[in-house]
Amino acid sequence: MLEVEGLDVGYGPSTVVHGVSFTVAEGEAVAIIGSNGAGKTTTLRAIAGLLQAGAGRVNFDGHDILGEAAHVVSRRGLAYVPAERHLFGGMPVHENLALGAHPDKPDPDRLRQVYDLFPRLEERRNQTARTMSGGEQQMLAVGRALMSRPRLLILDEPTTGLAPKLASEAYAALSTLRGEGLTVLVAEQQVPLALDLADRGYVIEDGRVELDGTSEQLRGNPDVQRAYLGIA
Amino acid sequence: MSVTDTLLPDTAEPGHARSPVATWAPIAIVAVLLALVPVFVGDSRTWMGLATGMLLFACYATAFNVIFGSTGQLFLCVGALAGVSGYATPILADEFGVPGVVALVVGTALSALLGGLFSWVSVRRSLGVIFTGIVTLTFSLGFHNLLLGQRELTGGETGLRIQVGGDTVLRELVPAYLVFLGLLVGYLVLYRLLQRSSFGWAFSALRDDPVAAELAGVDVARYRIWAGTIGSAMLGLAGGLWAITEGFVSPTTFAFGEVDVETLVILAFGGIGTLLGPVIGSVALTVLDELLRDAGQLRVAIFGAILVALFLGFRSGVGPAVGRLARRVLPTSLTDRFR
Amino acid sequence: MNPAVIFDGVVDGLQLGLLAVGLTLLYGLGGILNLAHGQIAVLGGITAALLLDAGWGALPAAAMAVVAATAAGLVLDQTIMRPVYRERGEDRILLSLLVTLGVGFVIDGLLVWRYPSEALTLRVGSGSVEVLGITMRVGSLYASAITIVAIGLVIGFLRATRAGRAVRSVIEDEVGAELVGVNPSAVRTLIFGLSGALAGLFAVTQSMTSPVTSSSGVSYTILALIVTVVGGLGSATGALLAGLILGIVNAISAAEIGSYITSIILLAAAALTILVRPSGLLGRTE
Repeated sequence: MLEVEGLDVGYGPSTVVHGVSFTVAEGEAVAIIGSNGAGKTTTLRAIAGLLQAGAGRVNFDGHDILGEAAHVVSRRGLAYVPAERHLFGGMPVHENLALGAHPDKPDPDRLRQVYDLFPRLEERRNQTARTMSGGEQQMLAVGRALMSRPRLLILDEPTTGLAPKLASEAYAALSTLRGEGLTVLVAEQQVPLALDLADRGYVIEDGRVELDGTSEQLRGNPDVQRAYLGIA
Repeated sequence: MSVTDTLLPDTAEPGHARSPVATWAPIAIVAVLLALVPVFVGDSRTWMGLATGMLLFACYATAFNVIFGSTGQLFLCVGALAGVSGYATPILADEFGVPGVVALVVGTALSALLGGLFSWVSVRRSLGVIFTGIVTLTFSLGFHNLLLGQRELTGGETGLRIQVGGDTVLRELVPAYLVFLGLLVGYLVLYRLLQRSSFGWAFSALRDDPVAAELAGVDVARYRIWAGTIGSAMLGLAGGLWAITEGFVSPTTFAFGEVDVETLVILAFGGIGTLLGPVIGSVALTVLDELLRDAGQLRVAIFGAILVALFLGFRSGVGPAVGRLARRVLPTSLTDRFR
Repeated sequence: MNPAVIFDGVVDGLQLGLLAVGLTLLYGLGGILNLAHGQIAVLGGITAALLLDAGWGALPAAAMAVVAATAAGLVLDQTIMRPVYRERGEDRILLSLLVTLGVGFVIDGLLVWRYPSEALTLRVGSGSVEVLGITMRVGSLYASAITIVAIGLVIGFLRATRAGRAVRSVIEDEVGAELVGVNPSAVRTLIFGLSGALAGLFAVTQSMTSPVTSSSGVSYTILALIVTVVGGLGSATGALLAGLILGIVNAISAAEIGSYITSIILLAAAALTILVRPSGLLGRTE
C-alpha cells in the first residue's frame, strides 16, 4: 500500500535522511524504531507532504505522492498524526473531530465509532482541546485522524509526553484499530510497545535503514536488545 | 559614557579583518565625489537644494540602517524621530532663548531617548517585528497629529519659521550642503566603526547561527537598545540641523508618507545593511524625484510601485545584496519553523 | 452628554469593526498584514462614485463598489502576495507589511492623481427620524442596519458553515488544517476576497453619513489597524468589540475634546494594547 524508495530529505544544505526505503502492505502494522534524531520524524513529514524531499519515490495506493501538498495527501486517505499533534487548540473536541472528517463531508457514523473507541472524548466533547491533558489530546489527535476513514494511519511518537500507563493505553487503542483491519505505520522510541503492536519493523539510525525484519526477529536481535530493549 | 566602553572588546573575526584601505576608501571616495558637487552647481539654488536634501535622506537611511539593517528593529518612525529634534531644537532656541548649539544637543538627546525607549520596550516586552512596527507607526502618526494640534508652539499645518541660525552662514547654499556632507561622512564612519566593533560581530554571528551566538553570550537585548539609541540620535541630529539650515519646518517635513516611505525605498534600492546603500539609494531617489517633479500625486503611486517591486524583486534574487534582510530579522523565527 | 453623539459612535464603531474583521482574519490566517486595506475600500467607493456620475442607480453602484473591492483583494492575493506566501513566520509578516504599504500608496496615488475631487456620497432617504427619543439621521440607520446584517452573516459564516470552520482551523493551526485536508492557500484566497468585499461594503455604508473621498484610504487603513490591534490580531469578535468601543470613544472625544487629541487617544490605545496586552481585548494571555 505504501512503498518508500530511496528517500533523501534534508533541511537546507544538510541531508538528514539518506536513501530510506521501506514498505507497508495493506492490513499490516509496521514500526519504525530508532533513537531521537535518527530521522524518523523527517521521513514521516516528507511522506505526509509537510517537507520537501530531495530525492526518492513514495507510492501510496498506486499514486506517486511525493511532492504533493499535505492537504492533497490527506485527501488520498493517508492520515498523519504528528508528535506535536497540531490540534485546533481553541476549538472544542467535537469541532476538532468534525474537521477531521474533511471539512466538506460530515460523517455521524464515524463520529459514533470514534466516540466508542475513546469514550473519554465523548465525555469532553465540548471542552476546548487546549485545556485537555496530554493523554486526552493524544486520543483527540488519533480520533481526528480516524474521522476521515483513512486507508493508512501514520503516527509519529504517539507516546510523547505520556506517562507509562497512558502510553500503554494509547497502544491498546491502536491494537483495537489494528484488529479492525486498519493499516498502521508508527514511528516510536518506546520500542517494546511498538514491536508488540507491529508485524514488522525497520530500525533507522543516522538517517539510514540499518535493519529490518519481523517483530520477533527484531526482538531477538542482540543489537536491538542492547540499544532499545535494555537487555545487556 | 562612550559607546565602545559598553560594547564587548573587538574580536578578531576574519570577515572583518579588512585592510585599512579597503575599510575606509569607499567612504573617502564618496566624500570626494560629493564634495565636487558645489564646484559645478554651487550657484544654482535648485540644484544645491536638491543635493542637500539628498544628503539629508542619505543620513536618515544610514541611521535607519543602524537600527533596522543591523538589528532588525522595524522603526516606522524615522521621520518622527528626526522631527522630535527638528521641532524641539528651534522651539527651544526661539521660544525659550536656549543657545542654538545647546538646543540642538538637547533636541538630539530627546530623539535618542525616545528611540532608546522604543528599543527598550520592544526588547523588554519581546515584541516581534510586527508589534515594534505598529507601536512606532502609532508614534509617527500621533506625533504628526500633535504637530498639527499644538498650533501655538508648532505653527500647525502652516509650519514654523525659524530664527535660530538665521543670521549665520548656515543658511547659505554651499555651507549648508557642506554641513550635511560632513554629517553624512561622520555617519558613514560611525556605521563602519559599529560594523567592525563587537556590535557588528555580534549581529553577524546572530545571523549566521543564532544558537551559537546565544551560547557565546551575545547580549542581543543590549545591542538592540544601543542600536535604537544611536540610530535615533543620528536621526535627531540630522533633523535638528535641517531645521537650522532650512529656517523652516512643517509637519510634512517629517511626515511618515514622506520620510519613512522614501527611506525604505532608498534602502530597498541601495541595499539594506550595506555601507553605501543609503548613498546610492538616495542619489537614485533624488534623480527619480526630479524626473517626477511634475507628476503630482502620480509620484506617490510610482514610489509605491517601486517599493513593491524592490521588496518582491530581491526575494526572487534580483538584488542578492539586499537579500540578507531575511536573515537579519529575528533569525530564530526561520529556524524554529523547520526544526 | 448628548445621546446622539454616542449613537453616532455606535454607528461608526460597527462599521470600523467590520472593516477591521477583514484585516484581522487575514493576519490570523498566516501573518499577512494588509496595509492597503483602507485603500481597497476607497477603490470600491470611487468606483461607485464614478458609476453614479455615469447615471447608475444607487443600488447597482453600491453593489459594484463591493464587487470592485472584492476583485482588488483577489487580484492582490493571486499576484503580489504569491511571493510573500513563500516566506514563513516573521519574514512573511515583514514582507507583507512592506509590500502592502507600497500597494496602498499605488492605489492612493493613482486615485488622487486621476480623480482628485471625486467622492462617494450615497443619499439614502433624507432628514432624520426620532427613535427612543434620539434624533437619528436616516443615513445612519441604513448604514447600521446594513452593517449589522453583514456582521451577522460573517459570524454565521465563520461559526456555522463548513468553509467557515475550515477558515478557523487554519487560524488555529495551519499544519493541523493541512493534515485534515484543508488547503490553506485556497482559504487565504477566500478570505482575501471576503476582506475586499467587507472593505467595499464599508465604503458604501460610510458614504451614507459622510463622503468617501479619493484620499480617505490611508486614514481608513490606520483606523482599521488600530481597531485590529486593540481587538487582538487574528480575533474577529475582538475586532468587532474594539470597533464598537473605539467608535464610541472616538465620537465622544471628538465632540468633547477635539479631533486631534482624539486621533492621539486612539493611537495611544493601540500602542498601550500592544504593550500591556498584546493579544488584544479578548485574546488569551499565555
